Amino acid sequence: MRYPLHNNSCMVFIAWYCLLLSCQKDASADKPEQGAANLQVHLKAIVDGQPLIFGKIYKNAFGEDFSVKTFKFYLHGIELINSQTNNTYRVDKSNHFLINTADSSASYIQLSIPSSVYDRITFILGVDSISNVSGAQTGTLDPAKGMFWTWSTGYIMAKLEGNSPVAATPDHVIEYHIGGFKGTENVLRKISLTFPSLQKVDLKPGSQSMININANINTWFNHTHPIRISQNPVSMNPGNLATRIADNYSNMFTVVEIVNE
Amino acid sequence: MNKIATRSTLIILFVTATASMIMNACKKTDGDQLQRTSPLSFTIPKGFPPPFYQFTNNPLTQERFDLGKKLFYDGRLSKDGNFPCASCHQQSAAFATFDHDLSHGFNNQFTTRNAPGLFNMAWHKELHWDGGINHIEVQPLAPITAANEMAEDINSVISKLQADPKYRRMFKLAYGDETINSQRMLLSITQFVSLMVSGDSKYDKMKAGKATFNVYEESGYKLFQAKCASCHQEPLFTDFTYRNNGLKMNAFLKDFGRMRITNQKEDSLKFKVPSLRNIFQTFPYAHDGRFNSINQVLDHYSTGIQDSPSLDPLLKNKIPLNATEKFYLVQFLATLTDSTFINDKRFAEQQ
Repeated sequence: MRYPLHNNSCMVFIAWYCLLLSCQKDASADKPEQGAANLQVHLKAIVDGQPLIFGKIYKNAFGEDFSVKTFKFYLHGIELINSQTNNTYRVDKSNHFLINTADSSASYIQLSIPSSVYDRITFILGVDSISNVSGAQTGTLDPAKGMFWTWSTGYIMAKLEGNSPVAATPDHVIEYHIGGFKGTENVLRKISLTFPSLQKVDLKPGSQSMININANINTWFNHTHPIRISQNPVSMNPGNLATRIADNYSNMFTVVEIVNE
Repeated sequence: MNKIATRSTLIILFVTATASMIMNACKKTDGDQLQRTSPLSFTIPKGFPPPFYQFTNNPLTQERFDLGKKLFYDGRLSKDGNFPCASCHQQSAAFATFDHDLSHGFNNQFTTRNAPGLFNMAWHKELHWDGGINHIEVQPLAPITAANEMAEDINSVISKLQADPKYRRMFKLAYGDETINSQRMLLSITQFVSLMVSGDSKYDKMKAGKATFNVYEESGYKLFQAKCASCHQEPLFTDFTYRNNGLKMNAFLKDFGRMRITNQKEDSLKFKVPSLRNIFQTFPYAHDGRFNSINQVLDHYSTGIQDSPSLDPLLKNKIPLNATEKFYLVQFLATLTDSTFINDKRFAEQQ
């Protein structure tokens, strides 16, 4: 190499510059004061194209009856993207949101973001691996939320509970507690969603927009992998069944509507 | 205090102080509160490595420690009030259960394992016989919520604590306001348990040149170093690994150990190597308490080991020991009793 010193200095400069940039980004992510606007991301559970009714009996793709009692999941690492300009707004990755569609106050995410035009949203479904190994947490990650395995440390990233007559379990319960963050057991899934044709989040300073997202429970049983309730009524630990179900439910989201107010 | 211990204490104090400063910077109120509390130091016994748990986000204070102690001895952490942490972790037994093979829990149930002694926990990277708990702060949630142990719900514990004015006062003293949540509860229990350091046995005194072994103890120590120390590594007397030491699986308990956590066949029947410190207090022995005496354990290693695919390679040929060698080993193991720790009033229930 002819100019090793020069190259090294260059690298150091670039590294510092990146550091500087990342600091600035963090700061702006925390306080988007200049031209901030409100964005609400609403998540609605649906089955067979209709809003989920808890306790109602549905059929999965294999004709197995089931009803739903609990449906919750964590997400974090939300990004709003303008795919034309590549302008991206990243919500602080350590912010975790626990979505519980049974509770109207816990079925949407309220964000304050820089006013701009966005046409895509991405997020990570689940709890980041660091939070799974960092000891006692509070807020949405409080183990008292019931989304935590106490005997083999880790968060339940998504939970679907209910009943099915074909489940050979006490009281025919079905319990899918999906978690795992290590290696092949990792159920964290990046979700990347486009908006309906011609619709965009168009935020002006002080204005508000809504992204309405459907979460289709049918996918849990049949998308990439067929999961028959009769064979697998329960998933209670990390492993192959959990990752297959995660593969399936990573396809459950669809943006159905953007509302700019 | 000797030089190394002083230096280690300083390092921990420094780390704690730095953490406090960071917390001060980020969370003004918590920082102000910390200044009003009484800091505690964590002393690393001479010759010990630095602990794995560094109290980075959990600055040690007397108030948080005292709260942790009250919680540790409080039956209200269990469903029927009868099973505080201390029901299975008794100080006279080095915080194991005295003379019980399997622990007892809610509604006359047995657990599937023998309660291990609690000491030098800050050096453990993972907790439990199977290593299922990856962080000391969340360990208490396992016994609290297990149906055959304390059988309680986290929210229900928090509600019971919130209803008690004494707890509200203690949480305020420790954390600056009366908020009672699982995180504060867990951080306090962690402080109490992590400060249980055992490093003042005759063995430690011998190492420090303050005591001498008699000829039996000395012979036992040499045997120990030759035949046992690769797994029961000094000075903590465990290397914190998981191994299958050739115990035949109890057909009723069907406990596969570490495999339950990793789902890996090669982890079948592996359990964490237990520390041998305070071994005279922690009988019965093994993950299911099947051995009533140290002699039975030594008999197992010399003649009882069962072969299986995951048997530890170091035990393929067993550990041949004659009667005299066993006698010497027992004499040495007796030097690992730490009476200072077992009688330390800091860890005793407040009367």
